[in-house]
Amino acid sequence: MSDATQVAAAASSRDPAVGLAAVASLRGLLESLEELQVANARAEGWSWQQIAAALRVSRQAVHKKYRKFVP
Amino acid sequence: MFERFTRKARTVVVHAQEIARSRRDATVGPEHLLLGLFAVPDGMAAVALDTLGVTRSDVEVALGPPREAADAEALATLGIDLDEVRRQAEDAFGPGALDRTRAARGGARWLGGHLPLEPGAKKVLQLALREAVRMRHDWIGTEHLLLGLLHAGRARDVLAARGVRLEAVRALVEELLRRAG
Repeated sequence: MSDATQVAAAASSRDPAVGLAAVASLRGLLESLEELQVANARAEGWSWQQIAAALRVSRQAVHKKYRKFVP
Repeated sequence: MFERFTRKARTVVVHAQEIARSRRDATVGPEHLLLGLFAVPDGMAAVALDTLGVTRSDVEVALGPPREAADAEALATLGIDLDEVRRQAEDAFGPGALDRTRAARGGARWLGGHLPLEPGAKKVLQLALREAVRMRHDWIGTEHLLLGLLHAGRARDVLAARGVRLEAVRALVEELLRRAG
C-alpha cells in the first residue's frame, strides 16, 4: 500500500477511537500553529484586520481570541 | 482541609501537579495523585503499595502515554509527522516555539501556574478526610489519600485491576500504623 492510500485509510478510519483522537490532536496542533503565526504577524506589524483576512475569519473573532496575550 | 494535611501528603499533591504538567494534561486527576504517592517513597501509601506489589511503572503503563506521545501517534495516522512540524516551527521561530504556545500548554495556564483539580480529584481529597475521621486520626496523611483513591474513578480501576481493594488496604494501613507504633 502506498503512503497516500495509507493516509487516506487512516483519515477515514472506521474505528471512532482512532479517528476522533486524530481529529483532537490535529485541532491541538492547529491551535498551536495559529497562535505562533498570529503572534509573529503582530510582531511584524500586521493589523488585526490583515491577520483576519489571511486566516479567512472575522476581525472580531481573531481579536477576541488573541488580544489578551498577543500584543 | 489542607491544614490537616501532613507534610508528606502536601508533597504528594505538589508532585501530582508536576506530573500532570509534565504529561501536558490540563487538569490534575486521581491518576496524577496516585502517581504522586510514589514520589514520596517514605510515605505510608508508597510503603503500602510496595507491600501490595504495585509499582509506579504499572500505573504509568495503565494510564497510557503522555499527551504528547499520544498526539504524535494520532497525527501519524493522518500522515502528519509531529516531529517534522516541530522542527519547521523551531527553524522559523526558535527552540521550543511550538511547545511554548498557550495551546500546547493546555489553554490559559502559563508554565508554573497551578493546574486545577478535577472534580474527581477533589472528591478523593474529601474521601481522604473521611477516611481519617473514620480511623479517628487528626491528620490526613498519604495513607488516607491512598484510601480516598480506592473509592471510585480511574485510579481505583487501575488498582483494582491489580487486585488492590479498599478493605484490604484499610487493614494493611492499620497494621502498618500499629507497627510504626
